[in-house]
Formats: sequence, structure tokens, C-alpha cells
Amino acid sequence: MVPGPDLPPGSAGFDWPPLGEARALIESCGLRFEPGFDDLVTLYDQERLVACGARAGYVLKMLAIAPSHQGSDTLGELVTRLIQSGQAAGHETLFVFTPPQNAPSFQALNFRLLVTYGQAALLEYGPGLPAYLAAHAAQISPGRNGAVVINGNPFTLGHLHLVEQAAARVDRLYLFVVREDRSVFPFAVRYRLAREATAHLANVTLLDTSRYAVSAGTFPSYFLKRLDALSAAQMQIDLCLFAEALAPPFHLATRFVGEEPLCPTTAAYNQMMAQVLGEHGIGLVVVPRIEAGGLPISATRVRAAFRTGDFDTIAELVPPATLAFLRSEAARPIQTQLEEV
Amino acid sequence: MRIRSKASAGTMQSSDLMVVVEPSETLQIDVDSTVKKQYEHLIRAQIGATLEQLQVSAGHIQISDRGALDYAIAARVETAIRRAAKE
Repeated sequence: MVPGPDLPPGSAGFDWPPLGEARALIESCGLRFEPGFDDLVTLYDQERLVACGARAGYVLKMLAIAPSHQGSDTLGELVTRLIQSGQAAGHETLFVFTPPQNAPSFQALNFRLLVTYGQAALLEYGPGLPAYLAAHAAQISPGRNGAVVINGNPFTLGHLHLVEQAAARVDRLYLFVVREDRSVFPFAVRYRLAREATAHLANVTLLDTSRYAVSAGTFPSYFLKRLDALSAAQMQIDLCLFAEALAPPFHLATRFVGEEPLCPTTAAYNQMMAQVLGEHGIGLVVVPRIEAGGLPISATRVRAAFRTGDFDTIAELVPPATLAFLRSEAARPIQTQLEEV
Repeated sequence: MRIRSKASAGTMQSSDLMVVVEPSETLQIDVDSTVKKQYEHLIRAQIGATLEQLQVSAGHIQISDRGALDYAIAARVETAIRRAAKE
């Protein structure tokens, strides 16, 4: 077998000849072609495409092998090329989401099974979770600990209230800030504002989630039979990852979330969270939102006020650190970005 | 020989291994293998012998092995290190 041509750098690959072939192969394997990837690798046998796979950041997806070449070591060759592609792009650890029945094929390639739930399994290759936990070993303390997971886009008085309420009920509260940068406020800013706002709470430890919070943006849907199962599968995997990968090492007995009265789909989400965490023996506490001006405080409201430069409203919604940042020059590009949306 | 940059060698195919080496002040060897339970000590011994032969005393060596034989381990490790030692 020989590798096919490289995907032209910087292009989305729409006019790239092998793309049509790859799409046909992916679909013939019962998968769905899902645009949005950084690299697509292909393998040819006598000028016929026999295997392909894509990489979107640190996530491998749409791995497809022609029936004639299944059972041979084609997967090993395909994964080699994808790992090389990922390492060249600076990703030491790579994720793959797959139906649970395919997990052993990846385990035979030294992938580590992180979680299996329902229709999806998540595996990783590389230093991954053990390295993340080893790096945070000094921050692990025994006791009955709790966790809050926030994006903090940006950090509000609502977040602060949630953290304070949670911290009062546990030995140590781990405040996980979502690492993934899919928000208008970059991770470094979200993390710093959360740290400054919670500095007065002695039993709060800030951590970043690294790759171990799976957002809808990271989770690929190509292997799911029904697209409407997507959000449920993504949330289940994310919750299971929290419960199985993060909760035991950090001694997390309770997860605290803010009530979301503004969002109708959240009732279903909270129910699912209670169920999945409950199956793992982790409690869920929903903390009511605090209000300002008769409405619950939310980061969405802060962003709306920031877009129009309404600092009087912002001052009622955020702690001093966030207000100071929003008033600073460093926040101008973010404001411009919000205006363009 | 000194590991100056990040380099890799090998594949994830059956009976082969993938080696990634990068600069580090200490010597750290991480081994992942489908036959780790039975053969980790032999894999480590082979890596150690190759490093000694090439006079490598520091670096982060990551191995992902799929049941490679000792000469394959030696060859892949040496190739990765020679690549990493280039100016």
C-alpha cells in the first residue's frame, strides 16, 4: 500500500481530487462524511483508495477501511500516518471517538480506553490522562471534595456565587476552567479572571480541564446513526469522562452547577447529569442563580452589555477583576470581535 | 550523542514500534506496549543498551510498541536518536 497525496496546506480541500473518493469510502463504511478537519490521510493499493482517516486538531475521525483490506494491518498503517500528522502539528495526545465495538482495535494500537457510554467510546493515544494527573499530583488533597466546571466567558458574579456556595460545603473545591478555546474570551484570560475573583477562597484550587471536558465542538458525530442522538451522546461522554477520569483521582464526591432558568433545554441536560453522575456515585447540587436588575446573572448578559459598551450594567454583573479587564486596552480586540457577530 | 530536537521513527504496524525522542535534562523512558505485562523489562533493557551504545544520557524517549523484536527496537531507537542529534 502507498500513501496518497498530501492535503494541500491551508486549503479546506474542496477541490482536492481524492476527497470525493475518500467521501465515498467513508460513506460505504456506514459513516457520515463530516467536514471540518486539518488533515486527511489516504492509503492506496494498486491505485485504488483502500483506507482514509482525518484529523481535526487532536481528534482523529472518519477512519474508514475498504472491506477488502479489513483484518489486515491497514488500521496500523493508517493510524501511523495520523499520529505522525498529529505530532507534526504539535499534538502529543490524540483522541478517537468510535462505536464501542471498535475500541479493541484501537487498544491493540496502544490507545487507552477512557470511557464507554451508550453508542460512543473515547480512547486516547500518547501521554494523555496519566501525564495530566501526574502534573497535578501536588494539587490533589484527600477529603470530600467538590467540583465546578465553568467556561467563564467571562467570569461573572454568578460564577463567584456558585463557587462560594460550593466551597462552603466541601473540604476542597476544584474549579475546572474549560481549556478548549472556542469562546470569544481566550483561555488565558478566562483562567486569570477566575483565579483573581476566587483568590480570597482558601479551599478553592483552579485547574484547567485540558482535553478532559468534551464540548459539542470537539465531539464528532460521523459514527452516530442518528444526528439527533448527537448532543445526548456528547453530553454522556463528557459526564462519564468527568465521573471516571477526573472524579476518582481528585476525590470528587459532588459536582455543583448553576441553575439555568434562561435556557429551556437545560432541564433535560440537568436530568441527564444527575443520572450519569448518580450512576457513578457522585452527587449533583444545583445552585440557584443570583439576579441583578430582576434577571439572572449570566455571561451572555455580560457579553451583550460589553458589546454596546454599557459599563454601568457590567459593573452590576461581574467581580472587580473582570470589570478591570473589560475596561482595559487588552479587551478591545474582544469587544471588536463581539461587535462583528 | 545529544538529543537536540524532537524526532521520531517507526510505525504502529504489527511487530513494529513507534519511537518519539525529544530533548530533556534528565533521562526519561516511557514504554507503552501491547505486550507490556510480559516484556516491558526486556524492551527497557534493549532501549537502555542502545542508548548506552550511542552514549545518550539525557532525553525523553517515548515508545509505543506492538510486539517488535529486539533488533527492530534497537534500529528504531537508533534512527530516532540520529535524527534528533542532527544539527
